[in-house]
Amino acid sequence: MSVADDIVIHTRDLKKHYVMGTETVRALRGVDVDIRRNEYIAIMGPSGSGKSTLMNLIGCLDTPTSGEYILNGQPVQDLDDDDLARIRNREIGFVFQTFNLLPRASALHNVELPLIYAGVSSRERMQRARKALEQVDLADRMDHKPNELSGGQRQRVAIARALVNQPSIILADEPTGNLDSVTSEEIMSVFDGLHRAGQTIIMVTHEPHITAHAERVITLRDGEIESHDARVLIPATGA
Amino acid sequence: MRILEGIRIALQQIWAHKLKSVFTLVGVIIGITFLIAVITVVEGVNRYVQDDFAGAIFGINTFSVVRRNQVQTGSESQEQRRRQARNPYLTMHDVEVVRQAVPDAWRFSYSVDRGFGEVSYNERSRRNIRVIGGSDGYETMQGWDVAEGRGLSPLDERRSLKVAVIGADIAEKLFPDQSPLGKRIRLGANRLEVVGVWEKQGGLLGVIRDASVLVPISTFRETMAWQRDRIGEITVKAHTVEEMEAAMLEVEAALRRDRKLRPGIENNFWLQTSNDLLGAWDKINRILFAALPGLVSISLVVGGIVIMNIMLLSVAGRIREIGVRKALGARRRDIMYQFLAESSTLSVAGAAIGIGLGIGLGKTVDALTPLPASVPLWSIVVSLVLGLVVGVGSGIYPAYRAARQDPIVALRYE
Ligand SMILES: Nc1ncnc2c1ncn2[C@@H]1O[C@H](COP(=O)(O)OP(=O)(O)O)[C@@H](O)[C@H]1O
Ligand SMILES: [Mg+2]
Repeated sequence: MSVADDIVIHTRDLKKHYVMGTETVRALRGVDVDIRRNEYIAIMGPSGSGKSTLMNLIGCLDTPTSGEYILNGQPVQDLDDDDLARIRNREIGFVFQTFNLLPRASALHNVELPLIYAGVSSRERMQRARKALEQVDLADRMDHKPNELSGGQRQRVAIARALVNQPSIILADEPTGNLDSVTSEEIMSVFDGLHRAGQTIIMVTHEPHITAHAERVITLRDGEIESHDARVLIPATGA
Repeated sequence: MRILEGIRIALQQIWAHKLKSVFTLVGVIIGITFLIAVITVVEGVNRYVQDDFAGAIFGINTFSVVRRNQVQTGSESQEQRRRQARNPYLTMHDVEVVRQAVPDAWRFSYSVDRGFGEVSYNERSRRNIRVIGGSDGYETMQGWDVAEGRGLSPLDERRSLKVAVIGADIAEKLFPDQSPLGKRIRLGANRLEVVGVWEKQGGLLGVIRDASVLVPISTFRETMAWQRDRIGEITVKAHTVEEMEAAMLEVEAALRRDRKLRPGIENNFWLQTSNDLLGAWDKINRILFAALPGLVSISLVVGGIVIMNIMLLSVAGRIREIGVRKALGARRRDIMYQFLAESSTLSVAGAAIGIGLGIGLGKTVDALTPLPASVPLWSIVVSLVLGLVVGVGSGIYPAYRAARQDPIVALRYE
């Protein structure tokens, strides 16, 4: 029972097909994953293997063609749009490769956004957004617009935004894909810190050395899971 | 709170693209400017006509016997007008008939006047003046108080003295740096001694009082009248409306009896009250207010279409932002509200600019012409509500387009 309670994400035979005219792309062909609270998972695999598709399903941005997905004990495959939005707001924190910050808003306001949709009062929003920015060492950049920040700083703003509503999991799809190697390590150490503090993290990457930070590696190939722990197969090369 | 976010974004957009925003809002701005300016001037004139003008020209609880209706409302038929043109001129005999019909009237006066004369003193002259021959009590009836000197007295009338009381504009024109009192002004072939100057009235009404010369009616009839026995109007003032109406019936009956009009024959005189003027103004008012909504709605509809297109462009340029917001937990209706708030803020801002310009236009008319302007609060409220309606109306379709974006497609959008 305590083991089941601990499972944050549980999928069985998860399938996602894209129908494009006469052709059907089978992006996911039946994926079973179980992810426990406070795990740090890396998802690897070649381009087009379905990593982003899986992340989108886990993040409730999209619904599966078939299969079962239980998030925190709640089946989500049949939820409607509004419920999915609520789950994205409360349970999920997204970090994107391209940061996806609102260009005209300050760092503080970008971090506040999830709290706006959670209906949090403006005073509390302010406090919590400040705290999240402090957590990623950006206390002195709160009023800066994204174009006044470096790539690494932008990604840290995005991480603060993912954290601010205390989600069950943080989903990061190639968060270092647009950063140089030094900045990548800086960002990875932010994730390490979050993980040490108890945060559950799922991260997509195709760089082997990034996976060294994770506890477990799931490798996808052609929409199927190839292995559940690739770390023993591909030794970390270090930074 | 989500609405606030929309308003905040809208204000940011307006501020970031000030010039573009003004063009976007031009339809709404013109519509509302026009609405406010027209209402402002009409209301101003309205209030003036009701509060001052009608009262000042005709007096409160006052009626006049005249040969024919002086206020053309356009509602009389050709036939009525032709019949009135055949009415006999009033004479001193009619004055006595009226006087005896209402012996208890509070005030009673009669007068005759002539428009567009010229007065001069030495080299200075003033054109377009009105010369009035007034009976004793004429000034009291009109409520014209002297600022300098004295008004006409019964003695002036009895002796047909060549004296005059003049309006402030005439005094300023003829006597820029000396007192007019005791000076002899020239009016046609006559020389008249100025005995008094009235207080300046100013404004629209000033056109009458400030440019008038009053002489005793006896003097007028003996030295200036083309037709000696003609009287222009006989005026009766009562204490109350009821007394006035009773007096009107008495006068009508007495004149009909005196003129031997059989029952069924129309009056060959006219009883003029302020209602005649108010009625005429009412009619102009109705026409203006009937045309206004059409003109305003045309510009608001055009303005709404422009805003809708700008909002569609804005949505197209922010697909990715919509994706981000949805990923962070925005529901369809949150996105909907955001864009509706944005279009409404734009439109209401346009309405606010229009209100400002409209008031400015009204004040300009007020300053440059004798027409007074007055901004009624309701017109501001109506304008803001119209702005909101246009904003919501023009925002619905763009907001719907924004809200139904698929988050994944939107996030990947370049
Ligand atoms: N919206 C979509 N419509 C059609 N095909 C898609 C769509 N999204 C992804 N795919 C296809 O699904 C497969 C998996 O894509 P994706 O999950 O993005 O792979 P990865 O992130 O591992 O590179 C690819 O073949 C891709 O072309
Ligand atoms: Mg991908």
